[in-house]
Amino acid sequence: MSIQEYNGGSVVAMVGKDCVAIACDLRLGNQATGIAMNFEKVFPVNDTLYYGLPGLATDVYTLREQLRFRVNMYRMKEEREITPETFTHLLSSTLYEKRFGPYFLEPVIAGIAPPTAANPNPQPYVSTLDSIGCITTPKDFAVAGTATDKLYGAAEGLWEPDLEPEDLFETISQTLLNAVDRDALSGWGAIVHVITKDKVITRTLRSRMD
Amino acid sequence: MAATGVAPNNIGFDFSNYARNEFLGARLGAQAKTTSTGTTIVGLKYGGGDSGDEEGICLGADTRATGGPIVADKNCEKIHYLTPHIRCCGAGTAADTEYVTNLISSNLELHSLSQGRQVRVVTAMTMLKQYLYRYQGHVGAYLVVGGVDSTGPQLFTVHAHGSTDKLPYVTMGSGSLAAMAVFESAYKEHLTKAEAIALVARAIRAGVFNDLGSGSNVDVSVITKAGTETLRNYETPNERGIKSRDYKFRRGTTAWLKENVRDLVVSEEVKVTMGAGKAQQGTTDRPVAVGAGPGGEEGMDLDA
Amino acid sequence: MDTLVAQLAPSRRGDEGSSSTAEWANNGYGNLDASGAVAGMDVPGVPDPLAFLSMHTDSMSTNPQAKIKLAHGTTTLAFRFKGGIIVAVDSRATAGSYIASGTVKKVIEINPYLLGTMAGGAADCQYWETYLGMQCRLHELRNKERISVAAASKILSNLVYQYKGMGLSMGTMICGWDKTGPALFYVDSDGQRLKGDLFSVGSGSTFAYGVLDQGYKWDLSDEEAQELGRRSIVAAGHRDAYSGNTVNLFHVRENGWEFIKNYDLSELWYEYEEKKKADLAAASAAAAGGVPIDVE
Repeated sequence: MSIQEYNGGSVVAMVGKDCVAIACDLRLGNQATGIAMNFEKVFPVNDTLYYGLPGLATDVYTLREQLRFRVNMYRMKEEREITPETFTHLLSSTLYEKRFGPYFLEPVIAGIAPPTAANPNPQPYVSTLDSIGCITTPKDFAVAGTATDKLYGAAEGLWEPDLEPEDLFETISQTLLNAVDRDALSGWGAIVHVITKDKVITRTLRSRMD
Repeated sequence: MAATGVAPNNIGFDFSNYARNEFLGARLGAQAKTTSTGTTIVGLKYGGGDSGDEEGICLGADTRATGGPIVADKNCEKIHYLTPHIRCCGAGTAADTEYVTNLISSNLELHSLSQGRQVRVVTAMTMLKQYLYRYQGHVGAYLVVGGVDSTGPQLFTVHAHGSTDKLPYVTMGSGSLAAMAVFESAYKEHLTKAEAIALVARAIRAGVFNDLGSGSNVDVSVITKAGTETLRNYETPNERGIKSRDYKFRRGTTAWLKENVRDLVVSEEVKVTMGAGKAQQGTTDRPVAVGAGPGGEEGMDLDA
Repeated sequence: MDTLVAQLAPSRRGDEGSSSTAEWANNGYGNLDASGAVAGMDVPGVPDPLAFLSMHTDSMSTNPQAKIKLAHGTTTLAFRFKGGIIVAVDSRATAGSYIASGTVKKVIEINPYLLGTMAGGAADCQYWETYLGMQCRLHELRNKERISVAAASKILSNLVYQYKGMGLSMGTMICGWDKTGPALFYVDSDGQRLKGDLFSVGSGSTFAYGVLDQGYKWDLSDEEAQELGRRSIVAAGHRDAYSGNTVNLFHVRENGWEFIKNYDLSELWYEYEEKKKADLAAASAAAAGGVPIDVE
């Protein structure tokens, strides 16, 4: 049992056609004992940008508030919304600052940048970081948490390019559900966000509760 | 909370969680796992002599990043930019190679601005080794630094503890033995550019196929006095096969309990009221019927 | 030709010297000797087998980093009541946080009158309870009557005590019906053997006890008792990360045990939640439209 596994929980994000999806389980545990079934690990940054923080629950709150502060400062200074790319780097440097006393989190980011004159057609974006801020920007999907191994297996098999929002919902949901059913420390409910340019669909899934 | 201040006065690392993590680590066992670049990285000097090619440096790297036994990134970039004429291959802790090269790159830019000339490769190497020595190996960056400056082509390796080497051909990372085996058998002075690229690619391939920590593609960078040529994914010997069938789920497969749709398109209903667009007491706002247009039944003719 | 065969054929045990047909006939039965007793269990050939196992497996829970993760983590329960014994178990096997299986049979059917439950090392429980079944059959043949549950459980506890400190890991309940009526014994690999009315064993046992204790009484009807067993395993499977998947329910009566059913634990949980909601709605409706509540 490592510190990252103390509370349990997993997050997965996937790229679709002009859309992205990010999903998490809802379990908060104290080692083997389940404590809460409503512990969301995915948070919004703005309308079309979400991020997930699986890992040590105390650090989830600390980093979420830290990021809320830094994103608000960015918004005030720049008078614009932060893009997924910039947010990833903001998060990376926040984590690397604590290189020798890290947060026990592996963030996952998913979003679509707001269109601008310079970038009128922004592409869907997902990325992950390790606990000290090393960025990985996959073209397909990103996974993290106690079910990482199982999520990799499910996602490598089920993901395919150019899924429409409704199809992406099915793919990411089945990936998460089947992965957490093989993980003792994740599960107890799940929530999925599918982000497109003009709407965000949030669904609470019916999952196994054991 | 100095670190979160508007003008942070704490630059550098924040050790505030260190004691807590030592305590938790002692109680629970394992510490945080970080992404590392299992890695094969190489560099060599080529050209000059009777090769007919101008002297230069050729750097190479594989593109696999690992987190324990998992391949964390199948196509990452390990050849980092330092200056227009210096590149740096990184192995070890991925976040450290990224941040240490970024930091030194910034400092080199400032240095060249203040000195009004191109910086030398030795300067880059010295700045890297002094930074790494200061952290006594805890910043886990293992680097191959190569570039061309006023003194000609230069090639160095820098270890995490701060030691350096200056050699005509070098390899580093977990695949360094496989790559060095290739160099030791085939390297000679005054290779042509084409021969150099081929040899570097062969060395990386040796790592990709024989070292489990290395894999996927071959990145190459060629630096001469004329400039830097970046050959990203120069070879892709591990292309994923195309799936013959797909696993698309029928819509409605997943049972869900609650749904919330947040519409991001702001839809406004325009209401035209009597009297210079201001709502007046006693009058009720009523939307203009489609096709009614200005000057319609109740609306004011705004173009009048 | 015969000399060639003699040279090349693998030599059988007992071929040399006084040949004993009984001995080589037993070759197929692993490490059992001619009399059917365990000839000897191989233990790691090191000075301290316990330390060796503890370092390389996680059976002792002293070294969570051990590379060999033995399947464990469980909720099992059994209780005696007027209608016999209820035995209920989950079906999850985990290796670290990985759910290795969700369809494990944790009730071992020793014979038509005896059940054993499985917690701890799956292999240890399976092997020794099967062996116990053989000993019980031998008892029957020798004494022309069925073995008592007390005697059967004592065979097991004496046996594991011989291996004390060598790495066996089991926590089991031996349940059956004999001349004395329904009988229930707890036996573990420390050598402990307890007679009792109600036991729960495994990582989820605390949760099971919670439900069990508030609902248990001797005069439970068969249906009530089965429901209590089921509800307890569901509660444990829900809260405990290392228990879950399905419930296996058994009922031991005078004429032997009966397998009631296998239930999906998660589906049961949703059923109980629905019932909770319905009961709550009915209660509040009754409070609103029924007898007015006195406020003083």
